[in-house]
Amino acid sequence: MENLINIFFQAAFIDNMIFTFFFGMCSYLAVSKTVKTAVGLGAAVIFVLGVTIPVNYLLDTYVLQEGALAWLDPSYAEYDLSFLSFIMFIAVIASIVQLVEMLVEKFSPALYGALGIFLPLIAVNCAILGGALFMQQKAFANVGEATSYGLGAGFGWFIAIVLIAAIRERIKYSHVPAPVKGVGMAFILTGLMGLAFLGFLGFKLV
Amino acid sequence: MKFLRNIFDNAHAALNKSEKTKKFFPLVDSVDTLVFTPNHTTQKGAHIRDAIDLKRTMMFVILAMIPCLLFGIYNAGHWHYHALGEAGGYMDNFMSKLGIGAWYVIPIIAVSYAVGLGVEFIFAIKNGHAVQEGFLVSGMLIPLIMPVDVPLWMVAVATIFAVVIGKEVFGGTGMNIINVALTARAFLFFAHPTSMTGDNTWVAGIKDMKTDGTLVDGFSGATSLGDLAGAKSKYAEAAVALAKDKGEVVVAGLKAEGDAMATKAVSLMDSFWGFEVGSVGETSAFAALLGGAFLLWVGIASWKVMVSFFLGGLSIAGLLYAMGGNPFYEVDPIQQLMYGGFMFGMVFMITDPVTAAQTGTGKFFYGFIGGALGILIRMANPAYPEGVMLGILIANVCAPTIDHMVIRANVKRRMKRLKTA
Repeated sequence: MENLINIFFQAAFIDNMIFTFFFGMCSYLAVSKTVKTAVGLGAAVIFVLGVTIPVNYLLDTYVLQEGALAWLDPSYAEYDLSFLSFIMFIAVIASIVQLVEMLVEKFSPALYGALGIFLPLIAVNCAILGGALFMQQKAFANVGEATSYGLGAGFGWFIAIVLIAAIRERIKYSHVPAPVKGVGMAFILTGLMGLAFLGFLGFKLV
Repeated sequence: MKFLRNIFDNAHAALNKSEKTKKFFPLVDSVDTLVFTPNHTTQKGAHIRDAIDLKRTMMFVILAMIPCLLFGIYNAGHWHYHALGEAGGYMDNFMSKLGIGAWYVIPIIAVSYAVGLGVEFIFAIKNGHAVQEGFLVSGMLIPLIMPVDVPLWMVAVATIFAVVIGKEVFGGTGMNIINVALTARAFLFFAHPTSMTGDNTWVAGIKDMKTDGTLVDGFSGATSLGDLAGAKSKYAEAAVALAKDKGEVVVAGLKAEGDAMATKAVSLMDSFWGFEVGSVGETSAFAALLGGAFLLWVGIASWKVMVSFFLGGLSIAGLLYAMGGNPFYEVDPIQQLMYGGFMFGMVFMITDPVTAAQTGTGKFFYGFIGGALGILIRMANPAYPEGVMLGILIANVCAPTIDHMVIRANVKRRMKRLKTA
């Protein structure tokens, strides 16, 4: 249990997708104008990461890795399908995003309208594929750890987009100089927020 | 007084003569309004009847910082002599301690004000408005949170970064999201860690003393928090050694080393009065609290933020104290809060009315998050024993979200009341 919490905490705050890796910036910058849509997209990202990473983990462990097919037949142990991992991961992500899109459209048409093109674009959001590839690299011991990692990474992304959305709402009436208005401001804000979040770097509770 | 008034009137008249010099109006205007009350009245928008304007507010905050500054100057001199082995009692060589302290601290203040106000003037002339008052406070806060031995060019670079990226790009005074002075410190902290932490920065002139060999034996120059963090990492090494079966002797030796480091940390009373090494103005909890009382009295700082910040820090310190396991966690919680910049941050940093949460309920959450995270980062993160700064910055970043949630909750409650009525 402690291990799972550690993985979650690490993924959410220390290896934050936005502040540490600058992953998933396109939707982060585009949808962070109001808190309401930011919360919606953030929740969608948590869901997608929380589902795709365990699925991809199972896929990786039982199909793609070197010798992963040995459970079918010992003679398959020599096969290494890891060169397929990019394609397989993307396929899993795309299908699950499709599912999320249908769910959001059915249950919250207003949010669906507000998110617009960025909902289907989660499929190619680098935070999602990045999460899958980090999962592969980190070689988790079981599917529980992978799920914890996925939820943590999604939660970190959620926090980042909600925080910046609230800040952008607040500075709506500030006299921001013309050259840095809009996206420029968002980048500066992200940098300053990243500076604050550096405090979590190297965090160890015990 | 008449004489001064005439100088300013003449300067204004001289500037108004030609179009070219007119754009330097902010330069004269800012000094004028600093000395005299501005004679213009509010033209539109909210009319607030109050004796103090923004400039007076800023001056009050500076007044509140004076105890910290004076003690900081004395303390810098005291530790300079202490490192040479000539300190004696606290009152011995009092004047020369003040002199040495001023010799090191005044240039930092001068650089901070000169550079920061320079940047402000450039922006004011470029944007065609009067110079904004915000930097009066930031310019004093920046020297107070720098180590005494910090190179002056670093102060200049950090000040420029903080004023331009931390404030001016948001539209100037009152618009910034994170505290300007802390932006400067965080920038240096991550860009030049060797000049901001460690043993060679906290005592005036310690680098020269080390090369000359005049440094007194057994004086490390580390802060109490640095010593405690060192003790904690020795205990962590001991735990690793135990796991690897290195033998009881090695483990006990490492723990003894840790305990020895922990005993270097100063006592509760010393850290309350401020007789420890650290950034210029942060060491004395007493001086900070004097300033805090003044700020509360004139109504500039919010007691909600201060109290919740203190409680946030206290609860985390208490929690880790109950956990125990190494000398850092076993420090008494109250004493833990006296070390380092916690009290200074509580009075001058977290209460900054611009970057704090604006809603009443939000202020409690905001302060609590800042205090709790500050102490958590200090104690649990081995890299940043001076972590209060980062806790406050994270609280600043969270403040708009807290406000948003408080306002949403208010709206919801009133809607409900409307429906039931």
